[in-house]
Amino acid sequence: MPRLVVEPWSAEYGGPLDFETDPDEAPAVVPGSEGPWEPMASEASLPSVIAFVDGVRRPDARLTVDEGGSALPIPGVAGSYAVGAVRWYPEECRSEFDEIRIERVVVCGEGAKVELPPVGPGLVYTSMSSPERSVQSLVQTFHGAMRVAEDDLAEDLARAGYLVFADGPINTLSALRKVGYIKTHRVSYLPPELIGIIPELGGGQRTPFFRIPDYKRNSWYLRLGDFADGHSWSGVVRCEVAHAVGDEMTIELANISTTVLPMLGSEPFRDPRAPQNLVPIAGLERELRRRLGAAPLIHRFVTEAVQQVAV
Amino acid sequence: MSDAVGRVVAHRHSTTQEFRVVIDDDQYLQLDDLVVVRTLVPKAGEVQTYGIVTEVEATYEGATFESDTRLIAEKGILPAAKVRSAEVAVTRVDPELWVAPDPGGVVERATGTERLRALYADTMGRALPVGIARDGEPVYVDLDFFDGRTGGHMSISGISGVATKTSFALFFLRMLTGRPDIVQEAANNLRVLVFNVKGEDLLYLDQPNKFFTPEAEQAWRSLGVAPGPFPSVSLWAPPRANSGDAVVPDTGGRSEGVDAFRWTPREFIDEGLLQFLFTDATDNRNQIPFVEERVRSQLQRFAVDVAGEPGAVVLRDPAEGHRRGDSVTPGKGERVIRDLGSLAEAVAEFIDPDEGEPDQRWSGRVQPGTVSAFTRRLYAAESRLGRLVAAGESRRIDRSVAQVTVVAIQSLPDLGQRFVVGALLAETFGEKERSGQRLPLSVIVLDELNKYAPREGQSPIKDMLIDIAQRGRSLGVLLVGAQQTASRVAQEVLENAALRVSGRLDAAEAERAEYGWMLPSTRARARLLKPGTMVLSQPSIPVPLVLEFPFPPWATRKEEVATEGDPFEGL
Repeated sequence: MPRLVVEPWSAEYGGPLDFETDPDEAPAVVPGSEGPWEPMASEASLPSVIAFVDGVRRPDARLTVDEGGSALPIPGVAGSYAVGAVRWYPEECRSEFDEIRIERVVVCGEGAKVELPPVGPGLVYTSMSSPERSVQSLVQTFHGAMRVAEDDLAEDLARAGYLVFADGPINTLSALRKVGYIKTHRVSYLPPELIGIIPELGGGQRTPFFRIPDYKRNSWYLRLGDFADGHSWSGVVRCEVAHAVGDEMTIELANISTTVLPMLGSEPFRDPRAPQNLVPIAGLERELRRRLGAAPLIHRFVTEAVQQVAV
Repeated sequence: MSDAVGRVVAHRHSTTQEFRVVIDDDQYLQLDDLVVVRTLVPKAGEVQTYGIVTEVEATYEGATFESDTRLIAEKGILPAAKVRSAEVAVTRVDPELWVAPDPGGVVERATGTERLRALYADTMGRALPVGIARDGEPVYVDLDFFDGRTGGHMSISGISGVATKTSFALFFLRMLTGRPDIVQEAANNLRVLVFNVKGEDLLYLDQPNKFFTPEAEQAWRSLGVAPGPFPSVSLWAPPRANSGDAVVPDTGGRSEGVDAFRWTPREFIDEGLLQFLFTDATDNRNQIPFVEERVRSQLQRFAVDVAGEPGAVVLRDPAEGHRRGDSVTPGKGERVIRDLGSLAEAVAEFIDPDEGEPDQRWSGRVQPGTVSAFTRRLYAAESRLGRLVAAGESRRIDRSVAQVTVVAIQSLPDLGQRFVVGALLAETFGEKERSGQRLPLSVIVLDELNKYAPREGQSPIKDMLIDIAQRGRSLGVLLVGAQQTASRVAQEVLENAALRVSGRLDAAEAERAEYGWMLPSTRARARLLKPGTMVLSQPSIPVPLVLEFPFPPWATRKEEVATEGDPFEGL
């Protein structure tokens, strides 16, 4: 008998489950070296400090480059993004913001590049372009820039010796202690013979790790907690690390994540994406959004700067 | 020298009245701290804005819900910024260019000369320290606003039981009498009249306090007065009733050094003290004051001294031709007035005789009932305060023998207390009225002002207090009035007090309009002030200041008196 469940996420954020219709797209998966394929608990000791990395972005203004004549106007977007980290010291019961990097970019379509003069106090836009002309592609370029900045920061922190949890998949596949934390499922990586483990996961349990050879990553699913009135995937998130870290470190990181992440899940009244959006990351996002600056003010600055370009 | 403590908060508007400060991580600001901000004003140059901290707040920025506190402080998984900020009320802008301090401006703690400027001490001609601020430095009042040059009088409010009002009044007096270097010519021959209305707290002003501490000594020295009991005090009390011929002061714990006071019938008549026997608020509703006024003036016309009996008088018709200063030998059967009882009987013979018609020169054309009421009250007064009037050598209070004159009236019934207060106020004010000079100053300390100058009703004492409040400052008669609730004291008396002081207040009382001079934050605190802490408002500073005054070096109870050596030593 099928069950009907209301997701705790706010509707505007979509849902945690967004599976592609075509399962053939899923890459091949091989169980790792952790013994029988059944739910595992873990009680790893906490590291003294963990860094969480995330980024936020915001379009500041839509631009149009009009060359006149028969050429169609070219769309552009000016936007800001911020990436940053929270360092959590579990033993000291304290967390603080780490380096916050803010970038502002102007992206134009069809390879066009627009240079804006400095638009206001500390506001410098760097120029980028997309070969396509759809607004969607501009946003992709913008988003991509932020993802790169996130990845750079995560890599920098991991290199500095921190255990890093990055919000979203990881891109730089170094052998550092860096875990990607994925809260939205678009692909079910597990084939039918393995996927039965998901409903069996209890709160604070994970699957053994599995390899995704095509992506050069190791991964595992874990459930953040027990949720009344939930469904079989409620509170399930996926983590990934680079192959390069090796099996041993994969297991260590999987165990740490299984201990740590359930402690950090948020509650529905606190966060529209509870429980998957972790408390430190929610706090970080709030701070990053704030640091982007006042949107109406920046829009005005951009407008003024564009007028200078025209002169 | 100043040091930075934070910056003017930028996310809210700063105004010429108030601004907020976000406090640096390694600094603090507490209530009543003084700060200064320098603002560069276009075309005008640097402007200094001085202010006083009226509230201090702290919060986690980044916390959206109250329960986020646990995530931040207990589990530490939510990053947040602890922010401490302070609300500052502007006290002064210098030069006087009323602009708001710039957001982000560096806020410095005002110390040294900056602190004095924040408190306008540099503009005060004579800045008298009247307490210690929370920062341990003195707080000043501009004496010009007390001694009558530009303002006068002090009003002290506060609930009873914490002994704060009288203590502060005395502390203020000690500052006034102990700093002639600041008070200058107004200190010459300064005289203080203090009424002791409850307990015997004020009868030990000239005795050292054995509980006086070295810390308190330090505080006194920082105010520039060597701690010690009042150097020049005379103590007066009414004579004990039924003590025969011996005149013994009616005090409990202390009798040595206390003089008994009373008035002779001659003094009673000459000074018109009869009016102060009719001070009950209800006396004014009927025509009793009319009769009293008439009787008072007839007594002055009729009274003739008795030869060989100082202070005693007989009543003779002025038509017989006797003059002031004459003394006569009373005829046989002639009534000699030696006390209040015989005075009452003598008056009754004129206005309410057992036989025949009353003498209308004395009674006027009033209803017989009014005359009876008058006589009844006169006889009643005799039984209650008869001991205050007796023939014999003059024992009136001599306010010139010492700087501070303490009159102990706590043993008298209400009527008697009002009589003494009325008589002495009239005497003091009369003297100054005749001289017409502001100096030397005469300071009167009167507790329970609501009893003597109540908001409702009329009485000769209330009239006199209003007169003192209104005209006293130019005549150098300065009232230091104290009351539990200012809302029950005559408006005219309160309004004329340039210096307003308050100790702990009842919560409901603190909300009344009489305390409009306090800031809302000060009002809220007024409910919590501990003994020894007062709020002071003066015309030269636009915000009230909170101050503490040190423990007194004089005793306020018999048990506190420090004796020379241990009397039981060697036993």
